[in-house]
Amino acid sequence: MRLRIAGGAVHDPANGVDGEVRDVCIDDGRIVAGLPAGAPTLDARGMVVMPGGVDIHSHFASSSCNHARRLIPDEHAADPVAAPELLEGELQARSGTGGTVPSTFTTGYRYAGLGYTTAFDAAVAPLLARHSHAELDDTPCVDGGIFVLMGNDEYLIRQIEAGERDRARDYAAWLLGAAGGYAIKIVNPGGVEAWKIGQRNVNGLDDAVGGRVTPRAILEVLTDVANALALPHPVHIHCNNLGVPGNAATTLATMEALSGRRAHFTHLQFHCYGGEPGKGWSSGAARVMEYVNAHPEVSADVGQVMFGPAMTITADAPVEYLLHKSSGRRWTNIDIELETGCGIVPLAYKDKAAVSALQWAIGLELFLLSRDPWRMVLSTDHPNGGSFLSYPALIQLLMDRSVRDERLRQVNPGLLGGSALADGLAREYTLNEIAIVTRAGPARLLGLRHKGHLGLGADADVTVYGRDADIARMFSTPRYVVKGGLLVVEEGQLRRAPLGHRLRVAPGYDEAVLRDLRRHFEAYSSVRFENYPVRDLPGVPVPLGQQ
Amino acid sequence: MTVTCLGCGCACDDVEVGVSEGRIESVAPPCPLARAWFGTGQVPDRVLVGGQTASGDQAVAAAAELLAGAAGRALVVLAPDLTAGAQRVAIALADLLRATVDGATSASAAEGIVAAQRRGRAAATLGEIRNRADVLLFWAVDPTDHYPRYPERYAPRGGGRTLISVSVGADRGPVPADLELTLTPDEETGALSVVRATVLGNRVGELPASLQSTAAVGARLLQARYAAIIHDGEPGRESRSPYRTEGLIALAQALNHSTRAALSTLRAGGNRSGAESVLTWQTGYPMAVDFSSGVPRYEPGRRGLDRAARGEFDAVLVAGSAAALSKTAEAALARVPVAVIGPRASESRFQPHVAIDTGVAGIHEPGVGYRMDEVPLPLTPPLSGIRAAAETLGAVLGAVRGRLGR
Repeated sequence: MRLRIAGGAVHDPANGVDGEVRDVCIDDGRIVAGLPAGAPTLDARGMVVMPGGVDIHSHFASSSCNHARRLIPDEHAADPVAAPELLEGELQARSGTGGTVPSTFTTGYRYAGLGYTTAFDAAVAPLLARHSHAELDDTPCVDGGIFVLMGNDEYLIRQIEAGERDRARDYAAWLLGAAGGYAIKIVNPGGVEAWKIGQRNVNGLDDAVGGRVTPRAILEVLTDVANALALPHPVHIHCNNLGVPGNAATTLATMEALSGRRAHFTHLQFHCYGGEPGKGWSSGAARVMEYVNAHPEVSADVGQVMFGPAMTITADAPVEYLLHKSSGRRWTNIDIELETGCGIVPLAYKDKAAVSALQWAIGLELFLLSRDPWRMVLSTDHPNGGSFLSYPALIQLLMDRSVRDERLRQVNPGLLGGSALADGLAREYTLNEIAIVTRAGPARLLGLRHKGHLGLGADADVTVYGRDADIARMFSTPRYVVKGGLLVVEEGQLRRAPLGHRLRVAPGYDEAVLRDLRRHFEAYSSVRFENYPVRDLPGVPVPLGQQ
Repeated sequence: MTVTCLGCGCACDDVEVGVSEGRIESVAPPCPLARAWFGTGQVPDRVLVGGQTASGDQAVAAAAELLAGAAGRALVVLAPDLTAGAQRVAIALADLLRATVDGATSASAAEGIVAAQRRGRAAATLGEIRNRADVLLFWAVDPTDHYPRYPERYAPRGGGRTLISVSVGADRGPVPADLELTLTPDEETGALSVVRATVLGNRVGELPASLQSTAAVGARLLQARYAAIIHDGEPGRESRSPYRTEGLIALAQALNHSTRAALSTLRAGGNRSGAESVLTWQTGYPMAVDFSSGVPRYEPGRRGLDRAARGEFDAVLVAGSAAALSKTAEAALARVPVAVIGPRASESRFQPHVAIDTGVAGIHEPGVGYRMDEVPLPLTPPLSGIRAAAETLGAVLGAVRGRLGR
């Protein structure tokens, strides 16, 4: 399909284009230099044109998400979703349910409706990767992939304990290929294993897990593995002590431990608290941002908290236990053999609750104190900090200081003393900066060479917004969305829902690891070694090599 | 060759079957459920419309006509023995038809699902129980009856493990055990409260003699490093207390305040867990989904086959093995036009309007099947040669789309 998106103000920061009025030409799913006169044209005059949104960290296609879905029939009953009116000849339109964890088809439709065309599920136990791929098969409109949980993996811990770094690398490479994964994910390194063995958790980088390995060793090995394998995305780290007052110190210690090495720190907001356990909370955002701004090897996504309902889903099972204990809410815990954990607690962030207000403020501080939007990108850790549907409201808070200040006046100020936000941060994001933190930046951090920009040969994923003084409304209802060259949203309506592509890697490894691994499986796994890898995955692996 | 057995929810993936001239000649190890599941692998390969032999195309067209004609008042039954892939197609068909879709989730299992929706749950994959649990509490179930290899594969005796066996009426726990407790069905709910109170460290005061050993169960659980509580999600011999599963969920959660624990729910085979999983990701609900208003609505108190018995549907599609459904379900299906697409459809004990025999998941059809702990496993069939349920359902879906113009 050919299409000329004509006359829009193009924001393509990866190519240095900042609001220039120009045409974007599409042929056969790619951006091309030009099209013959008479090619189908979409009149984008007066509109804003950006690459399709890229969600670097979300939870929408996993066994854990399905456990969460199962837990909230009440939310689903309140948000039933009829099948969209797709054009004739397209794939069957499907009904579904929304809430904080929508059904798969609804997830795909809603991402597209928001102008997002790529998303990664950030926490998948490799044992359950087959399930994630099946969910991705039923999540249309977005190209997707999964991050593979390794930070509490028994086989990996054994290799670290034995000083077998090469074997750890070969194992990680094999595991990524076996799971059809895209990146290495670390969640609370060692802490989940500590929970599973009855040690409850770890508190710092040098707390040994079961007397065997430290979080520091796990972090160092997996960071080096990701870089040595030249994975397109570096190691994706959810630090120790999530949600604990004073955890900014742990976060900084983690960054320092990995100093000089490429690493991505996820949902940083949940890891930027000052204060002390039992003695109160404060913002630690400024301290952490000082480090991040000075260290180009560090990147992060924010994990903004938005007021309203949320669903906490994480492999950080000990955190969820504490959340259950303190909130008294429903709690699901699934211990996953040899690999990781899973905890789920439905939650709501309330502006009148002091801790929620602090979390909200810290997220905004991270955005507003960041000097390099390419390295501090947008996420709500969907649905942990809030649904991805709240991105437009978040963008409005970043772009419009008056809206932000007004909101600030409404929240519980109890813990905001010393907060940079409360002291007044005047910065307002520009459209170009929004384009960076929502598409160009995440794509670059993910090593997606064909995404997040509109240069020649890029995937033709394009979002066209109608200008609107109400920024939230502008970003919540794009006028047009093009996915892989196909017009999926027209005049704000979803009209096509193509299947997305699978984004995965398959690094090479020394096959000698398989012999030892087979013995490990035979001794401890409930699944045969041969049945573990996911076969027949769609698409081809993404080439290795970091940007 | 080594294959995965869906004879029960254990989904053992280490079963050796010997095949000769298109027949299964041997199944090892000698699990009675695996033998029954695989049999010889011979299944009928017929296509019937109105009881008469028809071509595949004719039958697909007849099924589509029947179902499209009943759009808005149809039931799709996710019967056992299909792959998750085939279940996905059947649910798509239900969505298109604005039908009600429901699985073969038993009433007891449904009760457990609803209880978990109220409370959450503390669970684990089966390998975690094998590797970690040092105290095994069997509550009103001896897995050897209906899950023969569960003890061997996931909860072996020995190795310093303590085995606690609770019997409730005729639902007996395994013997011998390190600690045995026998309850009448009337005592069960009270006993569960006492165990939980003990685990929570609450003072239970003077107990009647019948409940004194109950407190000992709680005390022993507290000494565990990792306790596994194993119960049957499926119906037992006794009609069970409706509070059992919720009580066990609460107990497993409470144990995690001071040690670690998981509840292991034993589930029947035929990829029943898969049906619940696929339904959940596609609709948000694990069973009993009514699409008649154009959106999924959850009706756990009005199960599909019960509604069929009340004459609420004009047509039914059984996707899977009709023979695996209950006798009352079959009686309900005898009163309404039915299309059966699944293994042994032509041998249904009622007379379907359309019957299309297909292969069995994991015996003739490749794909994915879910274990009772919701771990998805690949199914590598030892046999082939009979039409696949997923493709046949896909053909019906295509034909219904053509008829309905959607």
